Amino acid sequence: MTDMANNPTKPAVASPSVMLTFGPWIVSAVLLLILPLVFQQNSAITIMNQMWITVIFALAYNMLLGQGGMLSFGHAVYMGVGGFACMHIMNWDIFGSIPLPILPIFGGLFGMGLAMIVGAFSTRKAGTVFAMISLGVGELIAACSVIIVAFFGGEEGISGDRTYGLPFFGVEFLKQIEVYYLISLWLLISAGLMFLYSRTPIGRMANAVRDNPERAEFLGYSARWVRYYSFVASGFFCGIAGALFAINYEIVTEENLNTASSGVILLVTFLGGVGFFFGPIIGAIAFTLLQTVLSLQTELWAIYAGVLFVATVMYFPGGLAGVLMMHVPILRLGNGKMLIMPYIKALIPAAIGILGVCCLIEMTFHIRHSSTGDHEMTLFWTTFDSHSLIPWFVVIAVTTAAFTVMRRNLPELVATWHDANDAKGA
Amino acid sequence: MDLILVNLIDGLVTGLLLFMLSAGLTLIFSMMGVLNFAHASFYMLGAYFAYSISLAVGFWMGLLIAPLIVGVMGAGVERYGLRRVHQYGHVPELIFTFGLALLIEELVQFIWGKNQMAYEIPEVLNFTAFSIAGNSIPAFKIFMIFISISIFIGLLYVLTKTRIGMIIQAALSYPRTVEALGHNVPLIFMGVFGVGTALAGVAGVIAGPVLGTFPGMAFVLGSIVFVTIVIGGLGSLWGALVASLLIGWITTFAKSYNIAMSDILQGVGLSMPENMDDSIWRDLWTVTSPQIADILPYILMVLILIFRPYGLLGNRDA
Amino acid sequence: MNAMTDMNAPALHIEGLKKSFGKAEIIRGIDLSIGKAERHAIIGPNGAGKSTLFNLITARFAPTSGKVSLHGQNLAGLAPYQINRLGLSRSFQITNIFPKMSVFENVRCALLWSQGYKYSFWNLVGRSRDLTEGAEAILEEINLTARRDLPAGVLSYAEQRALEIGITIAGGADVIMLDEPTAGMSNTETDYITDLIMRVTEGKTLIMVEHDMGVVFGLADQISVLVYGEIIATGKPEEVRGNAKVQEAYLGAALEEEH
Repeated sequence: MTDMANNPTKPAVASPSVMLTFGPWIVSAVLLLILPLVFQQNSAITIMNQMWITVIFALAYNMLLGQGGMLSFGHAVYMGVGGFACMHIMNWDIFGSIPLPILPIFGGLFGMGLAMIVGAFSTRKAGTVFAMISLGVGELIAACSVIIVAFFGGEEGISGDRTYGLPFFGVEFLKQIEVYYLISLWLLISAGLMFLYSRTPIGRMANAVRDNPERAEFLGYSARWVRYYSFVASGFFCGIAGALFAINYEIVTEENLNTASSGVILLVTFLGGVGFFFGPIIGAIAFTLLQTVLSLQTELWAIYAGVLFVATVMYFPGGLAGVLMMHVPILRLGNGKMLIMPYIKALIPAAIGILGVCCLIEMTFHIRHSSTGDHEMTLFWTTFDSHSLIPWFVVIAVTTAAFTVMRRNLPELVATWHDANDAKGA
Repeated sequence: MDLILVNLIDGLVTGLLLFMLSAGLTLIFSMMGVLNFAHASFYMLGAYFAYSISLAVGFWMGLLIAPLIVGVMGAGVERYGLRRVHQYGHVPELIFTFGLALLIEELVQFIWGKNQMAYEIPEVLNFTAFSIAGNSIPAFKIFMIFISISIFIGLLYVLTKTRIGMIIQAALSYPRTVEALGHNVPLIFMGVFGVGTALAGVAGVIAGPVLGTFPGMAFVLGSIVFVTIVIGGLGSLWGALVASLLIGWITTFAKSYNIAMSDILQGVGLSMPENMDDSIWRDLWTVTSPQIADILPYILMVLILIFRPYGLLGNRDA
Repeated sequence: MNAMTDMNAPALHIEGLKKSFGKAEIIRGIDLSIGKAERHAIIGPNGAGKSTLFNLITARFAPTSGKVSLHGQNLAGLAPYQINRLGLSRSFQITNIFPKMSVFENVRCALLWSQGYKYSFWNLVGRSRDLTEGAEAILEEINLTARRDLPAGVLSYAEQRALEIGITIAGGADVIMLDEPTAGMSNTETDYITDLIMRVTEGKTLIMVEHDMGVVFGLADQISVLVYGEIIATGKPEEVRGNAKVQEAYLGAALEEEH
């Protein structure tokens, strides 16, 4: 069962089911429109803005990772450079005659320009060598950013004001919600273009070169140039994401370029699933939520993120999208209902068990690192003394019980899974 | 002249340290095709374990035990982690080691906290070995050089003169053939991985007191190590040595001699812009060699990749 | 074809080709000329260097010395994709397709360059009639229309070999090189593939490495025998069959295998 399979193949001839082709896009557009009406607080809008920017970045990153089989460790620089470029434009006088909505194009062009330069020598080989080069170049540019203060602003970065642009139909983009709709528009445009790219000759050959570069060469294609064009295209959309970042936060710093940011986007994309177009979208949304919500609850959220990442690589290399799509054959056979009870019986104890382990981790951390005398901690709305034995007994007991129940119910889940995949049904 | 000697020694220390890390990394790469992103993390673990052990039973026990623990952990990672991910391909392998690096950094902060640890040079080595032109050379640095060189010689001996070394060398290039001859290649892989990470651990033990023991140490050194093996040539042990020493000396000399870019540019005949604050080239004019010392390896790597992509001593197909 | 090709030149011309790997000389000097629309089989014992010869022609390796010309144009220094664009296409001994893409996609990718799409990012392959129809036509030829939407990796061995041939000829190359196309097949499968090869290489130059003598004598106009990196005989099948050197070196054993 290959997890890295490309989008479920549809017949190449124009399908009569327009609904299937355009459906998801229309639904997304509608969702984007109404979400801020549902979640109206400014904090929610801020989170959503961050989410959509990350989605664009992740989709652009997956043009290389998932579509092209190229692992880049230093990709944040293309987003960062796009952001810095737009920031400078916002600080120039000429900005008064440029409507803000078209600014991302410049970000895209800058990102693309940098990618054209770097790609010239980095795309000669794929695989490990490419990854190494991308790491080195990424570090180089990030390190240069503190030296070249003129462009990168040194430690404080560069800031600007997005409201000085030419008003767009009366809108000056003072309000967060206005920026939201701008970002949403660019999200739809970028995602749409990237999707279409995957359906063009170059997009198809990118897949082919990923799977079998030698064969692609014997079909008349230079693997090296296919990789180069994908790299440049990816740089373009990264630049757009960077521009939107600049517009949204009105400040761009070295942090946007560094290896940590490159690592995050790798994590996000891989978590979502590199084998499907919508994978990075899920990954970006899930991760942004995780990051914002979880980081408020605990200092240790980075550990959980790390464990989640490693577990995904080891057990679910197809990511969230892969796990979801595994259910498609079952749903097609109409056997979805068979799974409901086994899932409840196995997954809920598993969830409780995992939460129990998290509690233990939190408690251990508290004991080890809290200031002396401070014994009180709060977990799940309960305040207790982390140094006393009772909470420990309770948590360990609950966790052990949960995992035991889970283990008892797991065989049933596995068996039902096999049955559900069987065309003859339960 | 004396300053040159001081810098030579300092650069040698840095270079040999770098070599201990890059040797293990390049060996692992040439054998398993895996670039272990978490390699520098084992270096960090070595330092931290040695620190904790040294608090209890002293530095020397730390030097002995910490690398062993790290090596065992490394072997475990290979056996239970990498071997599993191997079936998915090279890219997932890289991503796995990357995730591992993140995780180890978080775990270190979890156990030891975010602050730098007070990992001290052992009393018996805490004196000045000799002085050159007023600069004192600590005995510990001499000790570091001594340890690094002995390990290198030991490694060379094992690899070229012993039976197990020859089997390893064969397994490096033709694992399946070696397996067909009856050798337990998975065990060899596990062993080489373990030894490679143990080496990194040793580097951590001796570098910890000097370079500082803090959660970011893996990250700081990590990317330089990759740069080193790319420059030296992926899979080439000698290349790793040459590149490590080269980088060690270049960065040390750049930091100690304050060469200003403005002098170079003026020497070539360009004139300094009058209003520095407005000029877009102001950064280029004001930069000095200590500032760019740390990025010189990256520049070198990019140049090598453009003009000699297989590294200084690497094979053409790397 | 371009300005550098010579209409009167043989399809493939090899002169003094040598290849050594370190001290081992695998190809010891080959001179061979293959005419247009000729069907030429290369036979020889295992280890004779047949696959190496193929790899040298298609620029997987560079020769130690010697020259290869396609339609009169020297191929020295060209990359595989450049040689392919000049009209030479090859299949591989170990099936070399795109296992994760559907059968249809495999064939369509093979059409892209020759149909002029190159690195285009402004056409949608799904909307291009010529691609779709062209791919479907080839699928018909190789009899895989029923399997068109399956990932190529799940096809049976013989079906994959058929797909491999389909991909090789899809681009319209006029010099087709097939490396052991019937390797590992049963009698029925072999007949099927041989028939397929006959059909799809109609009018084209075919160069084929084969072990199965039945296939060779059925398909080939000319045979060359490669032994220890040298060609010891070239000629029509009956001539080669009767050649004493060949019988001694190779055919003597193979005659018993022939079905």
